[in-house]
Amino acid sequence: MSEQLKKALSDLEEEAALKLVQERLDASDDPMVILAACREGMSEVGERYEANEYYVSDLLMAGEIFKQAVAMIGTNFKTDGGPKRGTVVVGTVQGDIHDIGKDIVVSLLQAGNYNVIDLGVDVPPAKFVDAVRESGAAVVGLSGLLTIAFDAMKDTVDALSAAGLRSNVKVMLGGGSVTEQVREFAGADALGDDAQAAVSLCNQWI
Amino acid sequence: MENTALYQERFNRIKKAINLEPVDRVPVVYMGTAFTARYTGITMAEYCKNPNASYQAQLKTMEKLGEMDGANMAGGGRITPLLSAMWMSKLAVPGKDLPPDSLWQVQEAEVLTKEDYDTILEKGWGKFVKSYLPRVISMWEFLPAMMWLKTNTKRIQKEYKKRSYVVICDSSAMPTVPFEALCGGRSMSQFFFDLYRTPDKVEAVMDVILEETLAAIDEVKPATGINGTWVGGWRGASSLVAPKLWDRFVWPYYLKIVEALVAKGVTPVMHWDQDWSRDVERLKELPAKKCILNPDGMTDMVKFKKLVGDHMAMMGDIPASLLAAGTPEDVHSYVRDQVELFEGKGLILCPGCDAPINAKPENMEAFVEAAHKYGTM
Repeated sequence: MSEQLKKALSDLEEEAALKLVQERLDASDDPMVILAACREGMSEVGERYEANEYYVSDLLMAGEIFKQAVAMIGTNFKTDGGPKRGTVVVGTVQGDIHDIGKDIVVSLLQAGNYNVIDLGVDVPPAKFVDAVRESGAAVVGLSGLLTIAFDAMKDTVDALSAAGLRSNVKVMLGGGSVTEQVREFAGADALGDDAQAAVSLCNQWI
Repeated sequence: MENTALYQERFNRIKKAINLEPVDRVPVVYMGTAFTARYTGITMAEYCKNPNASYQAQLKTMEKLGEMDGANMAGGGRITPLLSAMWMSKLAVPGKDLPPDSLWQVQEAEVLTKEDYDTILEKGWGKFVKSYLPRVISMWEFLPAMMWLKTNTKRIQKEYKKRSYVVICDSSAMPTVPFEALCGGRSMSQFFFDLYRTPDKVEAVMDVILEETLAAIDEVKPATGINGTWVGGWRGASSLVAPKLWDRFVWPYYLKIVEALVAKGVTPVMHWDQDWSRDVERLKELPAKKCILNPDGMTDMVKFKKLVGDHMAMMGDIPASLLAAGTPEDVHSYVRDQVELFEGKGLILCPGCDAPINAKPENMEAFVEAAHKYGTM
């Protein structure tokens, strides 16, 4: 049944996937096992994306199915899904209000068993600093679609340095117009060409 | 005073580029909105509020940057009401919702509801849009802005011609493909979910929009000039949309709209932001030497040149990130590489999408300088 659920999710069959989740919950299956099957489905989605078989629309749809499945599972057990791989702070930098790319990253990281602190959009550098200090996050993901985000990305990295936190965290950048030149300008550790790259970077770092 | 000979020289240069014929120099044209304001020292709030400011600032910018053949689009009018209508979305406006010198931004939200699909099917697109727009923009703002454009567009185009500048998108037609209008109104996530959950309904709605769009194109009067029109695409890009969805919901609509425009003598300018590389070969299905691809630096130009280079011209594609974060030397290299790739043919040099608000002035100046340096045959 785990294979069936994994396949339904990775094939983006929303109704079938959610029906399977419900059936397994009704049968009092272990919620952790159901969740693991969903995660495996998401992992398959990520692989298909990397192989250019899936595109952003598929990632969004998969994330939507996963979110609903987690909500259904979440009402049936009290834990938060077991130990996490690590904590990642994510946000769209100050001055930019675009959140689609960031939201896909959040969804993929959550599916990858990371504890994600999503700070939202138009996030001032100080808020990133506070979140890293409070959570002890190992990675910060800065998102931005517009070119005006470049300065804000740099300001955020500078603020992490000024707070003495820079050596504790890896900083990754993402967004439509972010290039290697921008990464260098902002002083980040890496940039991701797409949402799946954020997961690969975190797997590499944590 | 108008220099007719110079205008004609520039016009012929651009026409030859569209026809993929050899040119004496690769044409170089301007495309910029927010950068225009910054470069000429006016605030974004003023640029957005005063309908004359945007074209006056654009002309000033073009003269200051160096010799250019014209503009992708003329300035003039208020940009934020237009963008609201195009995106079917609310905009955060500088001087109103944002500090006076910040950039306007589209507010991503689900404003067009699933129930609205039924209204469109029942009442038609035009009637629906009239009732929908007040949800995203005040009609007290929108209607005067449209009226201003109606009464001033010809005057503005004359101002460009007086300075011997050719405006490429000078047609009165300006169709929006159904995908982009609906995606803007529904919000990207919700619209993409609709494509998976209720594809037949979305397709029926798109067909209603298409029918009315084609009827409007049929009313377009013959015109002189390049007679180009902006045919935009941003969220229908190949990098975002799965192939089976793209083949059903994106491409067929472009094809029909472009064919209708060409039949009316209009030159479609495929202003495609994002990465369309996967499907770039499909452009061969469009009428040869009648259209222009206008990408933003993300679509693979080597692939385009190889597969479509003998079929249609490219206007672009200096990336916004390069203009904002690069150096004049980087800009020179990019322009040189594009001229070499296209071997000087079927190429109109232009900032990709449009020059960003924080493009460095020295990079924009380098762009024009490099166009002359490497583009002269």
